[in-house]
Amino acid sequence: MTAAVETAAGPLPVQYDSLERQHATARLGMWVFLGSESLLFAGLLALYAAYRFVYPAEFHAASAHANLVIGTANTYILLTSSLTVALAIHATRRGHRRRTVALLVATIALGLAFDVLKVIEYAGHLREGLAPGDYYAFADLPARGVVLYVTLYYLLTGLHALHVTGGVGALIWLAVRAQRGAFTPHSHVALELGGLYWHLVDLVWIFLWPLLYLIR
Amino acid sequence: MTRETDHEPGAAGYVAVWLALVVLATATLFLSRAVTGGWGLAVALVIASVKATLVAAFFMHLAHGRPIHRIVFAVAIGFLVVLVIGVLADVGTRSIASSYVDELGQPAPR
Repeated sequence: MTAAVETAAGPLPVQYDSLERQHATARLGMWVFLGSESLLFAGLLALYAAYRFVYPAEFHAASAHANLVIGTANTYILLTSSLTVALAIHATRRGHRRRTVALLVATIALGLAFDVLKVIEYAGHLREGLAPGDYYAFADLPARGVVLYVTLYYLLTGLHALHVTGGVGALIWLAVRAQRGAFTPHSHVALELGGLYWHLVDLVWIFLWPLLYLIR
Repeated sequence: MTRETDHEPGAAGYVAVWLALVVLATATLFLSRAVTGGWGLAVALVIASVKATLVAAFFMHLAHGRPIHRIVFAVAIGFLVVLVIGVLADVGTRSIASSYVDELGQPAPR
């Protein structure tokens, strides 16, 4: 048996003969995870497709009561946060620690802004009675069909918002590690994986926005 | 050995991708008002797919990363599409109205 390879961060697990190979394995594992995340949303998207097919007019009428201003603002917020996290990783590769931390903090702020707007949006809906399932009490539209849109709206945006919140937590941890100098231009795989996760959150919203807010 | 990260876009490239995403999002917003009827959904989904491809290809480095990353993710998205198509094929081909009961226990309108 060969001895484990030593790196600046300690010995590698014995199955890797270089840090680059260990990082390549981590990236592949992350893509498998992102694939399974996509399939987590697939079930809800399939339900959405089925019920929108059966109740096209009801889905149209219900989506007119979604908050288009907040939904659209959140679209631009998430697109921009994808840029800032990509630039943060780019800054790490160039060896700019302070710029990396600043860009991660910007990404965290955008993620928190998304969550704050989401809370305001939900509160407005609940005041109107646009609540899921049996709690539906919206006076302007009969429940039939509409309640399915409303329930799927909460499930899809709620599951997505949980991912945003989890992503913010991961980004905070990464920003602290970046500040402490844990990432070098050639070794920052945790930062790369956190970035990939954040981009997936953006990808999901790219589809939720037209499906829930822009029905015509 | 060539490193996986050697071919990433530069900072200017990332900003260009972001600009394209913002333009496409704005186009989606206006087209959703202009295009009505059944085509609205198709147009929105095509633009969303273009945006998603830009994010995956450049921000997530799928375009210049290892081929296995593209294969793994494309298979997952392919299975998602199969699931949605299968479900739509079911609800789209039901001929007996009473076979479909809505959430209130009533036969759904067909």
